[in-house]
Amino acid sequence: MIRLENVSKVYPTSTRPALDDVTMGVERGEFVFLIGPSGSGKSTLLRLLLREDVPSGGTVWVANWNVGRLARRRVPRLRQRMGCVFQDFRLLPNKTVGENVAFALEVIGKPRHTIRTVVPEVLDMVDLGGKADRMPSELSGGEAQRVAIARAFVNRPLVLLADEPTGNLDPETAGGIMTLLERINRTGTTVLMATHDRQIVDSMRRRVVELSSGKLARDDDRGVYGTVR
Amino acid sequence: MLFVWREALAGLRRNLTMSIAMVITTAISLGLLGAGLLAVRTIDRTEDLYYSLIAVQVSLDEPTSAEDPDCSTPVCRDLRAQLEGNPLVSSVEYESRDAAFARFQRIYAGQSILQLVRPQSLPATLRVTMNDPLRGTEIVDQFTGRPGVRIVVDQRSTVADLFSFLGSVRNLTFGLAIVQTLAALLLISNTIQLSAFTRRTEVGIMRLVGATRWYTQVPFLIEAVVTGVVGAVLATGGLVAAKAFFLDRVLSGRLLANTIPPIGMSDVLGYVGPVLVVVGAVIATATGYVTLRLYVRT
Repeated sequence: MIRLENVSKVYPTSTRPALDDVTMGVERGEFVFLIGPSGSGKSTLLRLLLREDVPSGGTVWVANWNVGRLARRRVPRLRQRMGCVFQDFRLLPNKTVGENVAFALEVIGKPRHTIRTVVPEVLDMVDLGGKADRMPSELSGGEAQRVAIARAFVNRPLVLLADEPTGNLDPETAGGIMTLLERINRTGTTVLMATHDRQIVDSMRRRVVELSSGKLARDDDRGVYGTVR
Repeated sequence: MLFVWREALAGLRRNLTMSIAMVITTAISLGLLGAGLLAVRTIDRTEDLYYSLIAVQVSLDEPTSAEDPDCSTPVCRDLRAQLEGNPLVSSVEYESRDAAFARFQRIYAGQSILQLVRPQSLPATLRVTMNDPLRGTEIVDQFTGRPGVRIVVDQRSTVADLFSFLGSVRNLTFGLAIVQTLAALLLISNTIQLSAFTRRTEVGIMRLVGATRWYTQVPFLIEAVVTGVVGAVLATGGLVAAKAFFLDRVLSGRLLANTIPPIGMSDVLGYVGPVLVVVGAVIATATGYVTLRLYVRT
């Protein structure tokens, strides 16, 4: 589903590469934690997968797309098949919860009646059934993140990318988010989650890929966060 | 599609003062353009009006004028035959001294100049109507100095001043329209950039969710087009008002009555209005498109 072949990324303003010759793969349906300290290259890796940046070297594959060499006008297509969730939620502030979720369907041109039935279903799934008409500013952090997940999942993406989705949340709320992501993973959606959260990684016992200074440091099948910190 | 309209209207509301400035500038530039178009139309019509009336006058000399009531003297007959044989000429009419005096009395009835003029001071005339009124000078050149001819006058030269006045009015309005259009273009371009900048986070999120560049930018384009069209409608309204409250009064006043044909409401609403709407929409779209291409990256 995802394949990185000798991928490097050097930002022009930095002497040290953000990613340095990383090769790894994620199979369809896997749940993978991407860990490492700040600046280790986790976010850069996710940015490359979303084609927010292009690699300086190597090849990035998502499904059958060679992401780094994708024509600019095909990028929306790629993103429509990927869901992404961020630490800061990134909801559209002047749209309601329902409209935020519906937006992901609107951009892929789904007809209005489909949107009207699918959006409430997904909001129910994330336990926000009664809050479709709220504005994002009225939501708690956990609720906002669940809206973001609903938006990421509503068009049944191939891959769900999550960049520290629990970073702004208390442990209990974070637990709820993880349950949700697990549930999504069980539907067959590949999940790649970058995180700092030792407790979550240790409790889930999933595959752990660790980056350190832009290099692949570890890839354990049922890993823990690790002791060196 | 509903989405893009909602976004566009929200965008216009968000920068309300800017939107108003944009609409006003657009309206003024389009209004000037419309005034120019009306001037062109009036000039054309005035020319038509005058060219059907004006002629080349071949005035005959004193002896011929005195003794010839019906162009039967050899000198007159000869001139008339030559004029009628000329391919530039459409028709020739003879006006004797007596007929000229009678017409003079009619035109200046009740005015003091009538007391001063005797039939003897008016020449007999061959009135030459041209096929092409613009080539009267050729007749002037050919017949000046011929035996029996006193003077040849192309009446077009007497109305040339009027046309050159109308022509400068037209050029002035077009010139102002161009400058003003430039201001409108820059304002539209600037507003779109501002609008895109204030919404850059939002647009960034939309792009992450998979919205195409087109999808996120159409609202800006619609903002521009709405501005152009609203500006054109206001400009047309302004022209209607200018016609009703100003032009109609001036053109029907003593000075210009029957000199310049009046501008009809159908000229403003049926011709200039639609042209302005199309021009406004096209210019705004083009400006918006170029701005988005050049300056708006997301």
